Amino acid sequence: MITNFGYVLLFIITGALFVGVALFVSKLIRPDRPNDTKLMTYECGEIPFGDARIQFNNRFYIIGLMFLIFEVEILLLFPWAVVFKEIGWFAFFVMFVFVFLIFIGFIYELGKGELKWDIPAPLIPRYEENVGVIEEEEKRETVPSAKKL
Amino acid sequence: MIEQALHSISQFYPEIVIILTLCVIIVADLIIKSDKPVTGWIMLGGLVISGITILFQAGQNGSFFYNMVVVDPFAVFFKLLLVLAGIFVVLFSLQSKELDSYYTRKGEYYMLLSGMMLGMMLMVSSTNLLMIYIAFEVTSISSYVLVGFTKKETDSAEASTKYIIYGAVSSGIMLYGISILIGFTGATDLAAINDALQNRADIPMILNISILMILVGMGFKIAVVPFHFWAPDVYEGAPITITAILAVASKTAALGLLIRFFSVSFIDSNGLTATGIWQTIEGIHWTTLLGGMAALAMIVGNLTALRQDNIKRMLAYSSIAHAGYLLMGVVILAQEGLASIMLYLFIYLFMNLGAFYVAMLFSNSIQTESIEKYKGLGFRAPLESIAMTIFLVSLTGIPPTGGFVAKLYIFSAAISGGWIWLVTIAGITTVISLFYYIRVVKNMFFYKPESNEGIIQFDLPSKTILLILLVPILLFGIYFSPILEFAKNSVQIFGM
Amino acid sequence: MEFLLNLTIYFPLIGILAFLVFRNDEAVKWTSLVVTSITFLLSLPLLFQFDVANSAIPQYVTEGSPVFSGMDVKYLVGLDGLSLLLFMLTTLMGPIVILSSWNSIKKSLMGYYSMLLILQTASLGVFASLDLVVFYVFFELSLIPMYFLIGIWGGSDKVRATIKFFIYTLVGSLIMLVALIYLGYSAGAATGVFEFSADWRFISSPEFTLGLVEQTWLFLAFALAFCIKVPLFPFHTWLPYAHTEAPTAGSVVLAAIMLKLGTYGLVRVCLPVFPNAFAEFAPMMAILAVIGIIYGALVAMVQKDVKKLVAYSSVSHLGFVVLGIFAFNTVAVQGAVIQMINHGLSTGALFLIVGMIYDRAHTRQISDFGGIAKQMPVFATFFMIATLASIGLPGLNGFVGEFLILNGSFFSELYANKVYAVLAAIGVILAAAYMLWMYQRVMFGPITNEENKKLLDLNGREIGLLIPLVIFMVWIGIRPVDFTKYSENWVESYITISQEKSTAVLETADSSDLPNWTNRIYDVEESKVESFTSNK
Repeated sequence: MITNFGYVLLFIITGALFVGVALFVSKLIRPDRPNDTKLMTYECGEIPFGDARIQFNNRFYIIGLMFLIFEVEILLLFPWAVVFKEIGWFAFFVMFVFVFLIFIGFIYELGKGELKWDIPAPLIPRYEENVGVIEEEEKRETVPSAKKL
Repeated sequence: MIEQALHSISQFYPEIVIILTLCVIIVADLIIKSDKPVTGWIMLGGLVISGITILFQAGQNGSFFYNMVVVDPFAVFFKLLLVLAGIFVVLFSLQSKELDSYYTRKGEYYMLLSGMMLGMMLMVSSTNLLMIYIAFEVTSISSYVLVGFTKKETDSAEASTKYIIYGAVSSGIMLYGISILIGFTGATDLAAINDALQNRADIPMILNISILMILVGMGFKIAVVPFHFWAPDVYEGAPITITAILAVASKTAALGLLIRFFSVSFIDSNGLTATGIWQTIEGIHWTTLLGGMAALAMIVGNLTALRQDNIKRMLAYSSIAHAGYLLMGVVILAQEGLASIMLYLFIYLFMNLGAFYVAMLFSNSIQTESIEKYKGLGFRAPLESIAMTIFLVSLTGIPPTGGFVAKLYIFSAAISGGWIWLVTIAGITTVISLFYYIRVVKNMFFYKPESNEGIIQFDLPSKTILLILLVPILLFGIYFSPILEFAKNSVQIFGM
Repeated sequence: MEFLLNLTIYFPLIGILAFLVFRNDEAVKWTSLVVTSITFLLSLPLLFQFDVANSAIPQYVTEGSPVFSGMDVKYLVGLDGLSLLLFMLTTLMGPIVILSSWNSIKKSLMGYYSMLLILQTASLGVFASLDLVVFYVFFELSLIPMYFLIGIWGGSDKVRATIKFFIYTLVGSLIMLVALIYLGYSAGAATGVFEFSADWRFISSPEFTLGLVEQTWLFLAFALAFCIKVPLFPFHTWLPYAHTEAPTAGSVVLAAIMLKLGTYGLVRVCLPVFPNAFAEFAPMMAILAVIGIIYGALVAMVQKDVKKLVAYSSVSHLGFVVLGIFAFNTVAVQGAVIQMINHGLSTGALFLIVGMIYDRAHTRQISDFGGIAKQMPVFATFFMIATLASIGLPGLNGFVGEFLILNGSFFSELYANKVYAVLAAIGVILAAAYMLWMYQRVMFGPITNEENKKLLDLNGREIGLLIPLVIFMVWIGIRPVDFTKYSENWVESYITISQEKSTAVLETADSSDLPNWTNRIYDVEESKVESFTSNK
């Protein structure tokens, strides 16, 4: 007897086999003539430049996170709006709690200055004799932002 | 539907209070720019109010939020323990000098601590696998960040990373186990799983494996051998207040979860014997497995603790050993076993928090966590050293302290279940534990302080907190029946 | 009277509270002296009101209610013929111990005297408790103050000595705890009312018997704990260390009272509760006891340190007590009980004397002394009396105990071999040899060490604290019946009860229940049944 999990296993095996066989067969029959353009990393048609492993500001990450949260909020708000009339004030209350909690998080980010698009002064570790590497973290001196310039 | 939701909310006050505390802390942190630890006091107030609302829940028995969460005596007992531990940890944090250099982030600290409290309170009261997992993760993620809170210390950062890696792996394994269990039974509710299992004729091996996987996750939180490898490094690296809450509250919550999970999901309602629980999940000899884990935890924890010099690390290994003693009660999984675990946890809370508190006071005043540096402290800080001695004696389990009563009941529960080999191991490892506990006492009292080291002064609040922790240890050594009765009543909901 | 008993037990503990008021050094000394003296006075009515004819039944019993439903664990204290004299010895030693450390202790006086007072309460509690869990609590409580007494106020190698002392004793008692819980569940099952029962009165009564296998394991666990405490050879190695490093008062309490906890436990628990195992292991224990007697004596003979010599003499003397207990007849057990008191008095006195000479000369090496008798005639007299009492000179207390023990074990049915008594008698001769030789080297001859010419004789305080001990040594030596009468009835009735219990167990025992190796120990069907019944 095959249980439901057995079917899943069979599915995985079949999937792997299918891909493997397809790749193997195409390897056998395709022409093999590589050149520089063909071996280039595919970046939506742009010509790639520089190294992929570079540091970029991690506030992009925060923005991404914020976007995700508010997108999920919209996702929940939409069906709520559809049935709002039927459920009434209770639904309003429930959604109020939800939005309130998200709002608190937003306030926090705003208050901590995470949304300011100022480019902070880069942290350059300096080395001192007998002390070692010093990184001064709490200093929040910013360089003038692009807008002010 | 609305009535049910409103009714559910009325049973959810303790958690709501914690959530509101969390929100207030966030806002207060932004608005109030004061040097005083306002957020800490807010959290303290929130915990006290939450504790009071929990007291009002005593004696209730019901299921809320569509059987996601329950309020029953068992949950109430554990929530009270957790809130008590939380209150003490906040009091410790208010005095900790280690955290002072991060005063700009104190708000985040208390916010995360509230989140952890919320997660732990849900852990002991949820009866749905999804809710259990969410609670588990809320606790874990808050604690990952808290462990690395003192981020300028390399130890702390290292501890946080290790904790995340171990935590992610084990919670992943646990989630996989949960998904298999749900796949087999078609239910996420613990009682429904029980029904499904009882109606099955055969129990496939994969089910046993899934339970083992779930045990991995819980074992990780309890820090029981062989899932303990994270504990020493994390306990050593984390700020001492966080170490205290990990060693006490986190362990308590996970044990509460473990007990509820096993005794609700796998109880055999046809034959309510002590072994009934294990009959529904045949295939692996569960009692021997848990007994073996308990024995391993006791042996490994105690033997490794012998060689430690850092007091936090020593207490970490000792807490692994204590997890073993606690697991002995789970092996029995009858009224005696569970009631004795709860008594043990209650006393363990005071004695372990006490030991951490004194360690913190010493660390504040002489800036060391090395046991070797404790030499002569018995004459420089007499009250604190005597208190430490009593806490350690209680951790060893020597009368007339609470620790003895706790051990006595765990041992007698195990013996009444016929686990004499396990109790013998427990007895021998207790002797081993004496070596390292007594080493601290020896260093404090048997060496004279250097001539340039004077008496260390401690302020009145710290002495008060110390006494609040100390009195129950001595009191429960003599008078403990109310707690035991409370515990016994609390486990009756499992039909025991 | 029940209240008086409780008051006596806890008065030293309450006395510690007085230290909150009287904080300077002199006041602390006087307070603790007053507290222990009052404890002694409080205990006197207990002795005078004691019903000697019914000494087998616990008297002045305070019985609390069980701690919680289903478990018969309760506060239960009382005194019977076995414990009364040891209880009195403890209260008597209280003020003596405090006085003995009057000038010799200089640091942290408050801590020191608190520890002594806690120790006093713990020892009194052990002797008075009738519930085994309460017994265990007091038994362990006595460890902690002793640990600090040796560790903080002890000699140069104190750290090692304390660790050794603490670990040895705790290993035994934790294994005993496991056995105790098991025993409690068995007893609870037998009552039919409780799940767990630790009431000694029930456990030792004829209504409660244990199977042979259970008896074997439980006996071994309990006996291990008690033998470490006694200490019986080969568990004795902690004792010389602890004694040499301890301050005088610590040594006195250790010798006079704490070692008795072990022998007392053997009589109190092992004899009436595990009679079959007791009888079966008796020859083995007797061998260990005899080895202890002779080995202790021989090692004592070559010691260079007076205190270590006295410590090894303790090993030897307590061997006698164990030999007497396991002879399992009225005479020998009676002798063992009185010998516990004797050892407390004479060894206690010897340690006090060693402490006095150490306070003066700051050395304990025998070679540093010689000819002191001329300098200190009063001291020499007391030392002589204590030495002779320890040797067992007729007319002093040691003789009574040793005579009864040797007599009893010579005719013991269990040993069935007179060689034990004969070998033990050699121990008496050896005792005379090492004690008198030591005395001669310390007290007589020319004064070889110039320092010793400055030694002063005993002062009023020191004479005062030795006189009561000497009075009792002589009194027990001349009229032992004044002391043996208390325990006579107890010993007789419990030996009878134990023999009946063991016969009953053997009659019902089915050899097929036993694993192979126990079959070899217990001859279930054969001659032992007869020998037991005829032993009556």
